[in-house]
Amino acid sequence: MGIAVLLKQVPDTTAKISVSGDRVDETAVSKWSMSPYDEYALEAALQLKEAGGGDIVAITCGPIRATKMLTDAAAVGVDNLILIQDEGVTDSTHVQSLLAAAVKRSGSDVVLCGKQAADTNGGSTGPGVSHLIGAACVGMISEVYAEGDGFIALRASPTGNERVEVSRPCLFTFDKGATELRRPNVRGIMMAKKKQIETVTSDDLGVAIGTSSVSLQSHSPPPVKPPGQKFEGADSVPVVVAKLRDEANVI
Amino acid sequence: MAYEALDFYDIDSLLTDEERMVRDMVRDWVDEKILPNIEKACHDGVFPDEWRVDLGEMGILGAPLEGYGCPGLSYIAYGLICQELERGDSGVRSFASVQGSLAMYPIWDFGSEEQKNHYLPKMTTGEWIGCFGLTEPDYGSNPGDMITRAEDKGDYYLLNGAKMWITNGTIADLAVVWAKLDGVIRGFIVEKDDPGFTAPEMTGKHSLKASVTSELVFQDCKIPKDRMLPHVKGLKGPFSCLNNARYGISWGAVGAAQSCFSSAREYALSRIQFDHPIASFQLVQNKLAWMLREITKAQLLAYHLGKKKDEGTWIPEHISLAKMNNVDIALDVARMARDIHGANGILDEYPVMRHMANLESVKTYEGTHDIHNLILGRYITGIQAFTRES
Repeated sequence: MGIAVLLKQVPDTTAKISVSGDRVDETAVSKWSMSPYDEYALEAALQLKEAGGGDIVAITCGPIRATKMLTDAAAVGVDNLILIQDEGVTDSTHVQSLLAAAVKRSGSDVVLCGKQAADTNGGSTGPGVSHLIGAACVGMISEVYAEGDGFIALRASPTGNERVEVSRPCLFTFDKGATELRRPNVRGIMMAKKKQIETVTSDDLGVAIGTSSVSLQSHSPPPVKPPGQKFEGADSVPVVVAKLRDEANVI
Repeated sequence: MAYEALDFYDIDSLLTDEERMVRDMVRDWVDEKILPNIEKACHDGVFPDEWRVDLGEMGILGAPLEGYGCPGLSYIAYGLICQELERGDSGVRSFASVQGSLAMYPIWDFGSEEQKNHYLPKMTTGEWIGCFGLTEPDYGSNPGDMITRAEDKGDYYLLNGAKMWITNGTIADLAVVWAKLDGVIRGFIVEKDDPGFTAPEMTGKHSLKASVTSELVFQDCKIPKDRMLPHVKGLKGPFSCLNNARYGISWGAVGAAQSCFSSAREYALSRIQFDHPIASFQLVQNKLAWMLREITKAQLLAYHLGKKKDEGTWIPEHISLAKMNNVDIALDVARMARDIHGANGILDEYPVMRHMANLESVKTYEGTHDIHNLILGRYITGIQAFTRES
């Protein structure tokens, strides 16, 4: 069994994001991390491997700096690392084509990824890739384990928990998982250091990147919050109550 | 807010990927396990056993030692581990220093093959805790005059004497004890169940409260013949261990200082007095600038010393300078940070008073501040000033 896990390096959730011109200024991002939902997917992949064997390949489509994230993944137990050079691709369908081609080439028949990336929150990668590789897609799950030739995935729903049975090939997208990504140890770090990262291009994968059907117009920072209002004295009570009722709609 | 360590001169860029990964691993662990629990551990006066398990699982105990299951990391990586642990608490770093540099190191360097194979694999995983017995109630800076004696009784050695201020003593599975055999200092491995050996805990500390400190008492303590470290005689044995531990402390002190700086900066920016954040006042800025200046210098000392350790071009005096200076400035940084926090600085909501109290111990143990100055004085002048004789 080959397990593929799709990872994306995003600005750390604690990093300050600044917009310069009409784009997020990536050079101003102080810390890049693995997207949190991808971390849950990676932990689930490691648990699948522990339970049933098989090699894990971690695949990312991104710039060179993403190699750090791949090495971090190797430190917790990923076997093979693939960096698809993004060549400035911003169109999510292109990213999906590249990832799908790399998954196919790896021969993996189960794919795990986060339900959405913490930077774009697009949520299209998992379903898109599953479509391209002809795999069933089970989205927003919190847990997965192998049963027979297939898998059982658990998903929280407003009315309770769903257990979804699925056969291979399949793709799972992770919501907040049951287990946080494990911490590496020194042994893992030393092994990760020796691990080669295979860097491939769209040509290597035989994917023709045509013109984009989608283009990103601009980024803008969230609107500045209006300043708070201050009321003093008992006389202001009716005003405050009225505002809470009519403007804030909280009473 | 995620912790951003002060790194004004970008020491980070000098590290290898492996060193950075090890540092980040320990940093994350400290954020997750130490910081939320340290005040309770200090209040209860315990070193939680879970921390021992985690340190073993991370694989950082005995960091720079190679073979016998040990990590084999660089001395820079070992320094970074100490820095991150002490950013959490000096007591946690003390645990790791004692286990790695004071208990594992002498077995690794001076032990027999059998001793190394028997003890080191279980010590690097944290399964067995070690401690180090050199200091005695009446002999601290002057260990050469120790009273603890070993006698060769043919089939076994008989130990008599007492050690004091022993980190990890009560929780240790084994102690590396320095005692005089026929007037010569030798190292002995004493196991916790050896007859005649007890390790009562010392209580009432205002410092290193999450670290276990003990006495070791040997009353006709019988130990098998194969427990003496065969390959070292004299003070060279314990001093070699102390060199490694002191090296780690020079990094650890930087971690404690970074923690205090970070807290002071944040506090100064958010605390409003006279309608402005106190960070906007010149006297406060002067203090923060002084902290940044001294921490940056201490980082460079520690880093360069680490390089010399890795290259093997160091001398013990280099370590004395770094231990003495870095702990000294860290203690001053902690006091200044407490001052910037005003009354809030005495609360356990902030780490500064805890670091300050810890660093008072760190200033004294592993060679007092003054002893390190005397070591440097002897280096400079060629004249020893430890005693009036000679």
